Amino acid sequence: MEHFAAFSFVDRITELTPGTSVRGVFAVPAALPDFSAGLVAEAIGQLAAWAAMAQAEFRKRPVAALAADIRIIGEAAPGCRLDLGAEIDGGDRDTVLYGGWAQVGDARVMEMRQCLGPMLPMDDFDDPAAVRRHFETLRAAGARPGRFGGVAEPEIDIFERSAGQRLRATLRVPESAPFFADHFPRRPVYPATLLLDAETRLAAVLAQQVLHGPAKVHRVTGVKLRSFVVPGQVLEIGADTLSHASGSVRLGVTATAEGKRVATARVEMVAS
Amino acid sequence: MPTDINQDEVLAVYPKVAETMADALGCTVEQLVLDVPLIEGLDAESIDFLDIIFRLERAFKIKIPRGKIVEDARGDLSEAEFEHKGYLTDAGLQRLRDYLSEVPANRFQSPMKVADIPRLFTVETFCRVVVRARRASAVAQ
Repeated sequence: MEHFAAFSFVDRITELTPGTSVRGVFAVPAALPDFSAGLVAEAIGQLAAWAAMAQAEFRKRPVAALAADIRIIGEAAPGCRLDLGAEIDGGDRDTVLYGGWAQVGDARVMEMRQCLGPMLPMDDFDDPAAVRRHFETLRAAGARPGRFGGVAEPEIDIFERSAGQRLRATLRVPESAPFFADHFPRRPVYPATLLLDAETRLAAVLAQQVLHGPAKVHRVTGVKLRSFVVPGQVLEIGADTLSHASGSVRLGVTATAEGKRVATARVEMVAS
Repeated sequence: MPTDINQDEVLAVYPKVAETMADALGCTVEQLVLDVPLIEGLDAESIDFLDIIFRLERAFKIKIPRGKIVEDARGDLSEAEFEHKGYLTDAGLQRLRDYLSEVPANRFQSPMKVADIPRLFTVETFCRVVVRARRASAVAQ
């Protein structure tokens, strides 16, 4: 699979103020069945990452670690153009702190606040020269749109249910998938945003029981990624109801590997 | 670099620090007694320390540069005077003992890896970080 295609969500960087802000676009391929909230978050994160990598002269790259607040306001339908923005709020040579947004036309579809990623050696993940060349392409004419061919949803096997209170499931990360060629060529890592998508899918099952009808994710807070998830890894993912009010429910979601916490977050779901 | 932070200052920030840390670590406030070692006692990992600092910045509206604890402990010692090949020098270890005065002496190993410094951190360590950052913020204003 072509690098900067299978899991790349910035077609062009339209504005860049080094160390401060960046703007970009991504055309969501019309042939896709859908484009999840996790992938919108990925697009915002990737745009911020390009700004951080350029600032670090492509010697380091950020990886996902913390996101204080993600608001899912609307949907990015296949065929739409996502306008992306990120403000670099600070950080230092070892971390990048940013906030960002995505919108379709004039309508915001997502806002992310206070996201933090450690900057790790680029050499461990990718070829710095290739990354720099692609950045130059994105800054000039842009990459060919329509490169993303979709991601197969991993199977979630629910093995423990406590109606309205708790669900536990097994998530088998694929041994191989096209996106591993892009994320990342030298060190395949299961994207945190896909893990978050799987966790919110599980949370939606529980929320549906609590709300007695279909539910959609409205807000995700306190996202914390503790370790990388690798190809073939088997995770236990869980959702627990924390509180609920009329038309909304707050859930805690977790992912563990061999008893060790891999990721945690809180998800607010509303009746849809 | 002896610290002049008194216990009243620590206790003044402790409730909010404990509440913030409980959210970050997914534990109860009751587990966060002042002297609990965060790694051995509560299974904290390096990402938790980033998260704690990040949350404390927001909760107290202060700025805490990453690596601040080690940087402050080093003080005016050069990097070479503070550590050698990843291990604290004798002078570096003494500086660390003075700076982390809330940590019992028997928890400092000799030789000690720089990478093991976070193993010493307790809840009180972060209370003191907040007190220092608030003082620095007051001076800056």
